[in-house]
Amino acid sequence: MAKIEFRNVVKRFGDVEVIPDMNLVIEDGEFVALLGPSGCGKSTSLFMLAGIYLPSGGELLFDGHVVNEVEARDRNVGIVFQSYALYPHMSVRDNILFPLRFKKTPRDEALARVKAAADLVRVEELLDRRPSELSGGQQQRVALARALVKEPKLLLLDEPLSNLDASLRLSMRTEIKSLHAQLGVTTVLVTHDQIEATTMADRIICMRAGRIEQVGTPDDLYLKPSSLFVASFIGSPPINLIAGEADGGTVSVNDVRFPVDGASGSVTVGLRPEHLRFSNTGFAGRIAQIEPMGREILYVVETGMGAVRVLEQGSAAGHSTGEEVRIGFQPENSLVFATKGQKLIAGAHVRAPI
Amino acid sequence: MAAQAIPMVSTASEQAVDWDALAARARVARRTKAVVLYAFLIAVSLPIILPYFWLVTIAFSAKTGVADTAVLWRSMAVVIPAVVAFWLTAALAQSRRQLWIGLAAVAAIAVVAFALLVGPDLHLGNFIFLWEPDFASVVRSRIGEVKGAVQFPNVWHAFGNSILIAGAQTTIVVTVASLAAYYLSRFQFPGRSSMLRSLLVLHAFPVLTLIVPMFLMLYWIGLLDTLSGVIIVLVAFELPFAIFIMKGFFDAVPWDIEMSALTDGASRRQAFVSVVLPQVRNGILAIAVFTFIRGWEEYIFVFTFLIRNSNWTMSLYMYWVRDDVMGVDYGVVSAVGVFYLVPSLILYMAAQRYLMQMSIGGVKG
Repeated sequence: MAKIEFRNVVKRFGDVEVIPDMNLVIEDGEFVALLGPSGCGKSTSLFMLAGIYLPSGGELLFDGHVVNEVEARDRNVGIVFQSYALYPHMSVRDNILFPLRFKKTPRDEALARVKAAADLVRVEELLDRRPSELSGGQQQRVALARALVKEPKLLLLDEPLSNLDASLRLSMRTEIKSLHAQLGVTTVLVTHDQIEATTMADRIICMRAGRIEQVGTPDDLYLKPSSLFVASFIGSPPINLIAGEADGGTVSVNDVRFPVDGASGSVTVGLRPEHLRFSNTGFAGRIAQIEPMGREILYVVETGMGAVRVLEQGSAAGHSTGEEVRIGFQPENSLVFATKGQKLIAGAHVRAPI
Repeated sequence: MAAQAIPMVSTASEQAVDWDALAARARVARRTKAVVLYAFLIAVSLPIILPYFWLVTIAFSAKTGVADTAVLWRSMAVVIPAVVAFWLTAALAQSRRQLWIGLAAVAAIAVVAFALLVGPDLHLGNFIFLWEPDFASVVRSRIGEVKGAVQFPNVWHAFGNSILIAGAQTTIVVTVASLAAYYLSRFQFPGRSSMLRSLLVLHAFPVLTLIVPMFLMLYWIGLLDTLSGVIIVLVAFELPFAIFIMKGFFDAVPWDIEMSALTDGASRRQAFVSVVLPQVRNGILAIAVFTFIRGWEEYIFVFTFLIRNSNWTMSLYMYWVRDDVMGVDYGVVSAVGVFYLVPSLILYMAAQRYLMQMSIGGVKG
């Protein structure tokens, strides 16, 4: 187990600065997710932790020791790749045994540990097979066993679920989370899928273009996104973002006016689809499209401000296409961002027009 | 609308489509295609098979001083129908079982016919060079002409030289090409892309144009008329292409596997040996076989750079046999040819499974 620290870490590839200045502390035993779109530097950070990339500047600490120049093989880090990266020419047993080969573990003990790791992820019947004879989910488990067999200080998961089909992804999510609870190993998950991040991690580090946008619990990121980017990245269906001008206590968007507290100038109002509801007051629109999603129904409503998404609980649509509706919301659920800088204006809220 | 597409069935009205006519037309087209394909296969396989067949037949049947082509005509009377029958069976067989039974029948009939028509003329006398070093004199004496025979070294000596050249060349090329290709595939360094380009240009260069400067260079460094001199030259000319092929194989090995090995505690060298090399095994086998055969068949360089007859390789041995007894006994020349051919043939047959995969390369995940 280890406490991980990034201190002013910089990573450059040639002239391209992928990570300009990263500061982050991951507590011992924590499960964190690095979340962001592709090319945001999350995998680069992971590979620096693994020791595959050398930081170009700053310090990377494991338990207070600078490990910048420590070789990958000496860091005792387990890693699961998106492609699983199993060694195709070895049996599953040899794959799991591989990390122990270089540690001079006695043969009997090594085999016992392989058995234990295989039991942990339930692949004990597959030990004699080749990776090419396994399904995606089984390969995933073997990769996990291989990462765990050396009892790593740090477990790194690089998009571990993205090659699995939807139902397997759901069960592996639960399994990885319970493995973490059982073993308590510090775990870093890299993903571009916000659902994976919010369901599995204790804390989410949302990254964009090499910078950390926000660090917080899944709730923090969802309810109090610090920037427009985080607000739009987290949440499905995505948040409604409405750009307007705040002046004299109202935000004007085309001909719709929202009363506003605590903001002025050019702003963007964020309203989550599930916080909107049809009511007698609020702004007006016409239902353009209805998308049943099982337990919820997504309405796309044409308003004076463009299309607005409204999510309603229940499985039967209470409204029909073409219906004229009014949409309201609780002021405390609204988010107001300054268009310049795209940061959240703390304490600012809009109210629904009456 | 369908009627427009097939003006042949103009009798059909605008609406009614003559499905039977369409099906018949498609059937004719399919059969024509099959006939053309098999005719082509027969036409190209005969010129490939016949020379080898003749070579073997002559080696086992020709007699000193006798120009007898009747055996060849009789053997052809067996082979040509056999090849045609082979493709006809392949064309007409409806199932795997029928195919195998058909091929077995064709083979059995061909063997019996061959034994009856050619069998009585077969003998091993032409392989005299295997046990009689001064065979040239023996052969010449049969027609009463003894003087002036070339002093031949033992054929096994030439055979050993050829094995040595081809083997050493293969070992060096495989080792250097794998290491160089790995570096080219994985590391970025100044001049990498121009180096890759020059690899191809080097391969496209006609090597014969360099033969005079190479001769002078070998002479000056004192490696003229030595096997190691020839080996160095052959390695230099074989390396670019081998590196290029191996780079393709290394490119197909995912980075992830290597990174995984590194985090699993392997050093760069251990990762290369235990994880990357096994993935490119087919590539290594392929370049090893091709390089070996290239060295085995090498003629121009050994002819130019090797002088003493103790340095002769099989190709030089073959050349001098042809020079000395051709016209007297072409059976012996053919027999040497067969002897020369056998190792390549064995190697190809042993490795063909891997050579077939060469174009695919890469890793099955």
